[in-house]
Amino acid sequence: MDRKELEAKILELVSTSYNKDIGTLSMDTRIKEDLGGASVLMVGLVSEIENELDVLVQLPVAAACKTIGDLVDKTEELL
Amino acid sequence: MASILDRLYEKARQNPQRVAFPEADNEKMMQAAYECAQDGCIVPILVGDAGQLRALCQERGYDGGVFTFVDIHDEAYKNKLIGDYVVQPGRKLKEKALGRRMADPLYFAAVMQAVDEADVTFAGINNTTGDVILAGQMVVGLQPGITTISSIGLCDIPGFEGSEGSLLAVGDSAVCTNPNAEQLASIAISACDTVRSLLDWEPRCALVCYSTRGSGQGELIDKVLEAAKIANELRPDLSIEGELQLDSAIVPAVAAKKVKEKSQVAGKANVLIWPDLNVGNIAVKLIQQFGHADAYGPMLQGFQKVVCDCSRGAPVSEIKGNVVISAVRAAGMKK
Repeated sequence: MDRKELEAKILELVSTSYNKDIGTLSMDTRIKEDLGGASVLMVGLVSEIENELDVLVQLPVAAACKTIGDLVDKTEELL
Repeated sequence: MASILDRLYEKARQNPQRVAFPEADNEKMMQAAYECAQDGCIVPILVGDAGQLRALCQERGYDGGVFTFVDIHDEAYKNKLIGDYVVQPGRKLKEKALGRRMADPLYFAAVMQAVDEADVTFAGINNTTGDVILAGQMVVGLQPGITTISSIGLCDIPGFEGSEGSLLAVGDSAVCTNPNAEQLASIAISACDTVRSLLDWEPRCALVCYSTRGSGQGELIDKVLEAAKIANELRPDLSIEGELQLDSAIVPAVAAKKVKEKSQVAGKANVLIWPDLNVGNIAVKLIQQFGHADAYGPMLQGFQKVVCDCSRGAPVSEIKGNVVISAVRAAGMKK
């Protein structure tokens, strides 16, 4: 999976987990400020990444990501 | 009169629950599980490397017949659990991810609990609180409408004559650091459900802060007011009120003076919810230091089923108390 495909996949998973229109999301979207939501949504997102990409991004690692782009970086490192 | 803990032991004996112990390789944990079972309070299930657990059981001089041993390497049983789990509505983790996580006994136990092969997951002696909460969130899940895991403690305060005698439930003093209004509402709702399942109380829950019914203004109070509104909308069946000062919440004479309108809670609250963890931590220490109270907990709450975390430094007696409390809560949640 190349970087562009990974970005597209993570955007799709964020969109599903946070119930946001994918068109409103980008690599610069800030997870806490722009997406808001409870930590349980992040738990769901980490689970979806694990299911779909077969990589375990630990919750504290994901929670420390400021933007979706940061989350893609972390996932890419672990793949 | 029997202490609250004695009463809870008796209650647990009336309807013993299946408690899964994913850290039974730990000597204190195995001893607590064994003694609780010998007391007739629980049905203990030891989850891990069954061969190793059986050997430890024998080495430590326990009758292995007391325990059910569940082997995390039993692929057939593991696959059955996974199959039962993934078909449940709303589950996030799928087969492969779940299977990988179940190499950890904590996750294996949580899956057993989620598919009703156990009533309680009890851990915390090896795993951190964060580990236990994460496993509970990922596998067991949260109650509908609840947005955060939180905790309450039960205080037995000598000389206090409240609406439940010397007992008072307080939260959150341990988990949720700076709850927003939605999370504060979740803490209050979970606390009401916890005291009802554990103690059969009719919960009267006060969201406390430095103002009673508009006596003060500001953003700290706005949060509490908003939380009360959210809680009442989500669970109109519960008596949750705010904002109230602590004395307005628990002293009838003060409530009569400061709260003019009809109230189900003022002056007779049996559950107090702090506005944040600074208050909660300090308040519990004040109750313990100056009120000479025994404080039981923290009890984790907000999960669909009872997941319990004990302190990593807990002695066997404390672990046993927490096991019994968890078992009684689990039985209460089935009502």
